[in-house]
Amino acid sequence: MSTPQLVKLTITHLRGSVTSFELPFEKGKKLTIIYGENGTGKSTICDALEFLSKGNIGSLDNRGLGKTSQYWNTISKTAADIVVTLEAAGTSCQARMVKGNVVVQPASSQPRVEVLRRSQILDLIEARPGDRYAAISRFIDVSAVETSEVTLRQLIRDLNSNRNLAAARILENQETIQQFWETAGSPGADALTWAEAEAQRTLVADDPELAMLRALQTAYGRLAEYPNRLLAVDATLRSAKQAVTLAQQQVSTQLRDSAPSASELVALLQAAHSYLQTHPEQAICPLCERAAGAAELDARIMRRLEDFAAVREAQNEEQAAAHQLQRAEQQRELFDEQLAKDVSAFTAACTMLAPSAIPLPPSQPSTALALPAWLAATADLPARWNQAESARQDQRKFLTTLKSVLQTYVENTQGQQELDELLPKLQRTLEIVEEERKAFTDAMLDTIASEVGRMYEQVHPGEGLDKIRLELDAKKRASLEIGTSFCGQSGPPQAYFSQSHLDTLGLCVFLALAKLDDAANTVLVLDDVLASVDEPHVDRLISMLYGEALHFRHCIITTHYGPWRHKLRWGWLKNNQCQFVELSRWSNTTGMAVIRSVPEVERLRALLADPTPDPQAVCSKAGVILEAALDFLTQLYECSVPRKLEPRYTLGELLPAIRGKLRQTLRVEVQSGRDAHGTPTYTSVPLLPMLDELQRIAQTRNVVGCHFNAISFDLLDVDALAFGQKVLDLIEALADPAAGWPRNDKSGSYWANAGETRRLHPLKQPS
Amino acid sequence: MSTSATKETPAQALARRIVERLVKEHLISERAAGDLRQKLADGKLRAGDWQLPIELSGKQERNP
Repeated sequence: MSTPQLVKLTITHLRGSVTSFELPFEKGKKLTIIYGENGTGKSTICDALEFLSKGNIGSLDNRGLGKTSQYWNTISKTAADIVVTLEAAGTSCQARMVKGNVVVQPASSQPRVEVLRRSQILDLIEARPGDRYAAISRFIDVSAVETSEVTLRQLIRDLNSNRNLAAARILENQETIQQFWETAGSPGADALTWAEAEAQRTLVADDPELAMLRALQTAYGRLAEYPNRLLAVDATLRSAKQAVTLAQQQVSTQLRDSAPSASELVALLQAAHSYLQTHPEQAICPLCERAAGAAELDARIMRRLEDFAAVREAQNEEQAAAHQLQRAEQQRELFDEQLAKDVSAFTAACTMLAPSAIPLPPSQPSTALALPAWLAATADLPARWNQAESARQDQRKFLTTLKSVLQTYVENTQGQQELDELLPKLQRTLEIVEEERKAFTDAMLDTIASEVGRMYEQVHPGEGLDKIRLELDAKKRASLEIGTSFCGQSGPPQAYFSQSHLDTLGLCVFLALAKLDDAANTVLVLDDVLASVDEPHVDRLISMLYGEALHFRHCIITTHYGPWRHKLRWGWLKNNQCQFVELSRWSNTTGMAVIRSVPEVERLRALLADPTPDPQAVCSKAGVILEAALDFLTQLYECSVPRKLEPRYTLGELLPAIRGKLRQTLRVEVQSGRDAHGTPTYTSVPLLPMLDELQRIAQTRNVVGCHFNAISFDLLDVDALAFGQKVLDLIEALADPAAGWPRNDKSGSYWANAGETRRLHPLKQPS
Repeated sequence: MSTSATKETPAQALARRIVERLVKEHLISERAAGDLRQKLADGKLRAGDWQLPIELSGKQERNP
């Protein structure tokens, strides 16, 4: 969608706009040239557009003012009084100051504006390479891709390292397998085939035999413990028996020292005590059935039992000893049972093993007593079993190691193969990324540089200074060098270019960058950038700006370059493409104002159209216009005129210079309209009659229009006006007030103006 | 000068060109292209993000 065309800019109380200033934009013209002498308000217009688009006024920056917003408003007004409105077709946008901030409403209509001021024109050229890069980086900044590129490069480095590591390990694995193979006697076809076969059979077959060997040794170890255990059990039994005998003797001694039948009596008393403890409610003696309380009876029984305490203690000890003896006998029985079980376990362990592989005892122990002799006879076996187990363990370790080495070898080989396949692809990917990045950046820089060069060549054709280069410094990050070629020497333009050339270059760089950045939506403002361009180049610079302005939404150029105004007055500019605005002198009461620049031809037409025309004024104006027309034609056709120190020629010299075949063949095709197909139609106007007639009456100009002359008294006013009219006819045939003079010979057969509304024949003076 | 929202950034334009070439040279599949392009333009590609699509493309070539 195209951005709407600008309609009107209104500035109120901003900088020089004491009163409300309006700048209407002419429909269909994308270039507005604002001419004004210094102090007429040109920069205020630029400031207003910058205020609207960026919320800032850059013209006050870098002037040592600090915060400049306090100077934005017109003197005697406040910041709140500032209003800038830009109307475009169907839309409008307004900026105001609210609490120190620029507020734009609606924000969606805020225009994109790029302003280049004369003071900034060399910023990019003379900037440090880093700052230059920063200015241009938005077009070439691919740092995100570079970050990913670094990651890819690191990945390739890591994987290459992994691949080398895998290759080294494969060699190590091969050597280890070779050594194992040779240790094993180099069986089979080769080390690897052997290792693969070994790894397949290994640990599964050997595991049960190892378990059996361990079981055999465990069972034998248990049997070996029995002699000592037997000694301990027997000692405990003997000791318990002795303790019982001793306790029995002690009881006998106590009973002997006590009353006869004391033993039975104590037993009876204890029985009675127990009975009374369990039947405390008894009211009579359970033996004699005499009345007596249970408590009293029990107390009496206890007193009597205390008389037999020593007997009772001896009896208790006897019981304890008997109990210990019983336990010792049980232990002995258990010992025998356990021995029988362990013998069985040992026998079972023996039977599980193949007799030929492992040495085994010829028989098993039958009893505990026979065990020591049996153990002595088989004492060498545990060491031999241990040796067999170690041998098998070593074999197992060997096979485990072999398997591990083989697995590592396989894994490394596989990994190496995968990396051998992947790495070239990653490498190719990196090449593509690097190629594309460099190509992209170079192409973008070349585009900018060639665009700069192209525009520069338009202004300075044939000077050989158009070979502008923009190069990233490979040794520095984000550093952009600008270079050119001068007489075969490469270097920075500052080294070879004049100030004027540098200014042009700076303008071209700015335009090239602005064109790249959404130009169709951008209002380009060039504030007084022509000031430093030297005279011979201004025309070409203006011509270049005409062409470049078409790429932007709108282009506004401010200038105080006087010749521009005169060229407009003489219709030398492509007035149909540009709007020329002239600012009048500024005053603190009226502020800024626009005045109309009237072309000379229009002035003549106005003089002739006056109801009471002034013959002197008509002849004077017509004479100047005729001089301009003849000056144009004699230069275009290189006509001969008297040689002079200063090129000041009179009508009397210029008119006869256009003579002979040239005068006869001179004609202008004036565009009269378009046919049904839109093709321009032309009316042919021969210049011969006009030139002949003008030569005849040319004296009228001097007689009436230049001097006080009595001869003029003899001339009629109508003759003077006829001279004016004839000049007007000639100039209207020759030049189009909107499209200028026919100066372009690109057709190869005639001279044409912009849009070919005038075609001047012939192309060359006939011989 | 700011770039308009819809306009492709330089990194996006470059990422697009790179990924187009990677696809053209069968280094990555078209399916993987979108994700790779986005991460490439954002500078968020990790080592695995480079390796995986290239490995997968290789496998796809072997087992179409």
